[in-house]
Amino acid sequence: MPTTLRIALLAGLLALISNFAVIGFIYLRTHDEAVSEMRQQVVEQDKVLSDVYRSGGQPALLDAVQDTISYADPQSIVAILDARGRERSGNLGGLSEARLGEGYHSTFVRLRGQTTPRRAAVVMRRLSDGQWLISGRIAGEGLAFKQTLESSLIVALALAMLLGLACGVILANYVGSRVGSIVAVARRISRHDLTRRVPVSGGGDAFDRLGQQINAMLDRISGLMEELRMLTDSLAHDLRSPVSRLRSAAHSAAETNDPAEQEELLGSVIRQADALMRILTTVLEISRSEALTGRKQFTWFDLGELAAELSEMYEPLAEEAGVTVEYYRPDRRAPLYGHRQLLAQAISNLIENAVRYGSAGGEIQIEVKPDGNMTRIDVADRGPGIPTELRGEALRRFGRLDSSRSKEGAGLGLALAAAIAHLHDGELVLEDNSPGLRIALELPLRPNGDEDSRAS
Amino acid sequence: MGRKILLVEDDAETAAYLAKGLSQEGHSVEQATNGQDGLFRATDGSFDLIILDRMLPALDGLSVLKALRAARIETPVLILSALASVGDRIEGLEHGSDDYLVKPFSFAELLARVNALLRRREARIDPAEHRLTVGDLEIDPLSRTVKRDGKKLDLKPREYLLLEYFARNEGRVVTRTMLLEQVWDYHFDPGTNVIDVHVSRLRRKLDDGFEKPLLHTVRGAGYMLAA
Repeated sequence: MPTTLRIALLAGLLALISNFAVIGFIYLRTHDEAVSEMRQQVVEQDKVLSDVYRSGGQPALLDAVQDTISYADPQSIVAILDARGRERSGNLGGLSEARLGEGYHSTFVRLRGQTTPRRAAVVMRRLSDGQWLISGRIAGEGLAFKQTLESSLIVALALAMLLGLACGVILANYVGSRVGSIVAVARRISRHDLTRRVPVSGGGDAFDRLGQQINAMLDRISGLMEELRMLTDSLAHDLRSPVSRLRSAAHSAAETNDPAEQEELLGSVIRQADALMRILTTVLEISRSEALTGRKQFTWFDLGELAAELSEMYEPLAEEAGVTVEYYRPDRRAPLYGHRQLLAQAISNLIENAVRYGSAGGEIQIEVKPDGNMTRIDVADRGPGIPTELRGEALRRFGRLDSSRSKEGAGLGLALAAAIAHLHDGELVLEDNSPGLRIALELPLRPNGDEDSRAS
Repeated sequence: MGRKILLVEDDAETAAYLAKGLSQEGHSVEQATNGQDGLFRATDGSFDLIILDRMLPALDGLSVLKALRAARIETPVLILSALASVGDRIEGLEHGSDDYLVKPFSFAELLARVNALLRRREARIDPAEHRLTVGDLEIDPLSRTVKRDGKKLDLKPREYLLLEYFARNEGRVVTRTMLLEQVWDYHFDPGTNVIDVHVSRLRRKLDDGFEKPLLHTVRGAGYMLAA
């Protein structure tokens, strides 16, 4: 069964049930009222007649019966029967189904001069001389209003059902069209068109919120897909040159007859293979960090100590490249809960980057700045820097700015540093050192939501 | 002199390559191709070194290592694994391995590490040496002073640590990554020749002005301190 039809039927059914409840209530109330009103009349008439009998005896009762027949409305029933049920006076044609018995009865009786028995409410009373006093009313007129009401209630019920179904169809169509637009987008997406978005009416209703959530999800997915595509493309691309260098070195080594040259070429084959492995290991390290694995190995350590150690480690290398490394020690301890080894790698990547591209400027400044819940480590050079519009590019995996920066392994280093920052719930920030580039790792003292650290 | 080495490796090609190379170095190599067999053989404790792969059938390498250490078998263990990330290496070391080498590896790197571990085994057995001497070089680990030919050398703290590590591995090849791991305690692979620059600085202080150099470069492998 199609969903639209199901929604329409459901709405119709719900309308029917609620209308049925209301109408049923009205029916029961009016029915009860009509019946009790008639009963009251009947009981009162009986009381009047029995009072007459008690005070005036048989003759007064006979007069009262005649009076009632003459003056009361034609629906009244009044009769006196002898002990065996034969009529002595009154307008009762026959008891029909009714049997003699004290009290109130709802039964069928026949009036004198009529052939068909009619529904009536009667009170039977045994008089002291053994006769029966019957008084009551034919139900017809008293319940006529009730019957009109009942028939109009049935019409109302039918109408309500139709209206309910109509509402259901309208509702189903509305929901169907709102959901339909989402379905259409989903269908396009499953056919590899990730650019589609769910239209949002702007009313802010549940459908809009659903649409907005789906759109946000799609944005994220297409961002990730784009990143993945870029990564695969550039990985495939970046691996081509070392692989082709490796291949040509191996090929030349196989061709040559000169043992010295052969050894040299084989050495180059090994170096190229190592370079390839280094790229792959770094890519692996980046995805590990982005997936937040490794938080189990977090410990408390002093970031200032680590930075000092690394500055000292890179100082000779920088000097060979013609730059000095200045480390500015913070005035207090800079404790941090993190992965010491990975942060050491991140910082060393920043320093290597500064040595590689900022060496023209002559000085590299490294500074650790503890500040409340954050600690920042800056590595600044006086090189050419990176223009603002290209900074996002520089952080992408394999993002290479221009041919001058495309020395081996470039780009990956910063991408790894950024991934390691993310592992620590921190950020890698590129800033203008005017002139030069300042790269900062901004790290919280301990990452948020780190279950392991709380447990230990 | 030859030593007994247990090689636990399920890849037949790698195992054959290693067994051949280590045998040529004079060691006797016993092989196990799964973790259970490896653990069984290792528990007799008669080996000088265990080379352990991490991803093994029957019982993985880290579990073998854990079981060994729990049984108080302190044979040096070198983990050899394709699990290459910094986290993987730390994990291996935390489980009680003495060294961690990532596949693919150069045989020279492996041999250097194997020799360093066997050497440590020797040092543990021998009474503690108070003074290290290599030719006319004298190192006093207590006062951290270094003399060559009776003349005191002025070394920075890190240069001293570097030299002491070289001296403790006298006559054996020490690779760049070994230096980074042992002297600096970093377990990543730097993309630059940062270690070489330190070694060449140390060499200048150590060998400049002396006829016979002590710190040698071993091509394709690393460095060696030898008289």
